[in-house]
Amino acid sequence: MRTVGAPATAIADARPVVIRRADAPTWRPIGNIRDLAQYADLFRTVTEHRVRVRYKQSVLGLAWAIVQPVAMMLIFTLVFGRITRVPTDGAPYALFAFTGLVLWSFVSTSLNNATHALVSHAQLITKVYFPREILPLSYVAAAVFDLMVAMVVLAGLLLWYGRPVDARLLLTIPIVVAAALLVTALALLVSALQVRFRDVGLAVPLLLYLWMFSTPIAYPLSSIPARYRVFFELNPLSGLIEAFRQIVLGPALPSPSLLVVPLSLTAVLLPAAYALFKRTEVTMADVI
Amino acid sequence: MIRDVDCDRVSKRYRVPSKLTADSGVRRALRRGASALWAPREEFWALRDVSFAVARGEAVGLIGRNGAGKSTILKLLTGITAPTTGQITIRGRLAALIELGSGFHPELTGRENAYLSGSMLGLRRHELTAKLPGIIDFAGIGDFLDVPVKFYSSGMYVRLGFAIAALLEPDVLLVDEVLAVGDVEFQARCLRRIADLKRRGVTMIIVSHDLGAIEQLCDRVLLLDHGTVAMSGSAHEVITAYQQLAAGGGVPAAARPIDSSGSLPLEIVALTVSGADGRSTLTVRAGEASTAAIAVRAGRAFADVDARLSIYDFEHGTHLVECSTAAIGQRCPVPPGESRIEFLIPQMLLRPGVYTLGATVRPTSEARPVAWRFGRTTLYVEGSVSSAGALLLPFQCRVAAAPATNPAVLTS
Repeated sequence: MRTVGAPATAIADARPVVIRRADAPTWRPIGNIRDLAQYADLFRTVTEHRVRVRYKQSVLGLAWAIVQPVAMMLIFTLVFGRITRVPTDGAPYALFAFTGLVLWSFVSTSLNNATHALVSHAQLITKVYFPREILPLSYVAAAVFDLMVAMVVLAGLLLWYGRPVDARLLLTIPIVVAAALLVTALALLVSALQVRFRDVGLAVPLLLYLWMFSTPIAYPLSSIPARYRVFFELNPLSGLIEAFRQIVLGPALPSPSLLVVPLSLTAVLLPAAYALFKRTEVTMADVI
Repeated sequence: MIRDVDCDRVSKRYRVPSKLTADSGVRRALRRGASALWAPREEFWALRDVSFAVARGEAVGLIGRNGAGKSTILKLLTGITAPTTGQITIRGRLAALIELGSGFHPELTGRENAYLSGSMLGLRRHELTAKLPGIIDFAGIGDFLDVPVKFYSSGMYVRLGFAIAALLEPDVLLVDEVLAVGDVEFQARCLRRIADLKRRGVTMIIVSHDLGAIEQLCDRVLLLDHGTVAMSGSAHEVITAYQQLAAGGGVPAAARPIDSSGSLPLEIVALTVSGADGRSTLTVRAGEASTAAIAVRAGRAFADVDARLSIYDFEHGTHLVECSTAAIGQRCPVPPGESRIEFLIPQMLLRPGVYTLGATVRPTSEARPVAWRFGRTTLYVEGSVSSAGALLLPFQCRVAAAPATNPAVLTS
């Protein structure tokens, strides 16, 4: 935001001073994050609200959190597990697919919702000030909630197939954090672009569709011929899903090299996306 | 003097895409896509070089026709959008009463929405928990607190919105056209709350078409016209100038006061009403003593005038009451210069609601009034008494036995 703290005033006055001017820098990572921290309560309330509104007045309630991955698992199992028989490195196909879908559903739900996060709150954006990133981020946070519910189902599925549910699963947490950071970067990007170019909202579902099939979700990375594999490895989600799946299904722990692409991409993308977002934010209310 | 708000040569430009030539099909779509990226856009300056300052504890009114730039100023002050040039400095926590309840979500309950919009206004969760009983009480939605707001009446909706915002304790308060919400009783409470905050030294910027409220709440008024400050001065001066500006139309009839003086050097400067405590306020309590005053300015002495004060129903304009000095045989000499003709009202017998005041002054030597003033002063009567009628007649009540019938009388 274009608010700059100006501590040097002639008047002895405890009140905070806010200066708004056109040429104030929009990208002040520390200041921006401090502003955001001040609105931590809003972020929390809005996120709770997302989760609550989604399940209020719906009969299935909490079950909706897992409907998407479960439904896709059933279809994948039918098509890739029964009809074409995709190799799964030894795991039952349903379990194999569901493990990948847990993380994928998080990505797709977050981005599908975050795309419209700003535009659907135009009414609010033109009336009240608050750090706008709270809107897309709250959708990502609400999707983390769904992810946690899906993880419980995943644990149940592991027990069903007689696989151990143990402390090893805790290693998925850093993977989920890495995925959440990547998704945050993308959510900031698409939500800000959608304000100016409504085409983004139409393109995102299609891009997600393409992304899903070019990511090893229905099939393992090992089934890709070696000469094409590099393209799949450049996809930041491949490494994350592959690592996630190896942690959950074993037998060996994943190689840390799987995380090189997603982590380095996020390290570049996240600050860039946040900077772009903050730059668009100042005049967002004028064009939304 | 501490300046809580300081606008220094602030301008705001909006860009609107210029109209495209009629074209069809793919070419048009492509052209439109291209224009979204680089085609020239028409510029529109909503504000141009606006400078003003508001001192601590001062209440400044912003008036002007639609599109004069009032709302744009508020948007810049709240940080909703950034100025194109210039600088705004604000000292202290700022809160805005703009479109009440705009942040509500229909599926959530009143309580959840209170947290949501409270945090949107920058309130911490624990602060809001502490204020919640006050909010419920002020909004009067006790039983509906845990009901989704989509089941609220529109009145309950805005009441809750106002209550959340009004119970914030800001250093600087922006008020945008929210004085006309809810029922009359609630309006009176809103105004009282704003007047209260003002007494406590909250710095205020008020935008309203209710010139009566502006005149009574504001120490100073800025007149905006086409994005510039056309005039700044006392409420009386600026409102009068605004009426001249608006004479060509564009201002709703209800907001266009009639206020004029005739051939003789006598004019009404203001109408005020104060409650039992003697402070000049907008609101008086039903049943309590109050004083209404006509402030006049005379170019010479008048031996005797007939000053009349009238009270009208705000909504329908029904003439409810007239107090005339001549009617009670009170001689009323007016000295040169400024003076006040006071009407001491021992008991306000109007039911709680909104009223407008009017006044005329007629030197007894004249056949017709030479100064009059209508439609500009709003009177808010508040209180818990409810009455379907317009007036509150003081009464007591007892139950008595039916008078014994006298057969002798009947037969005679």
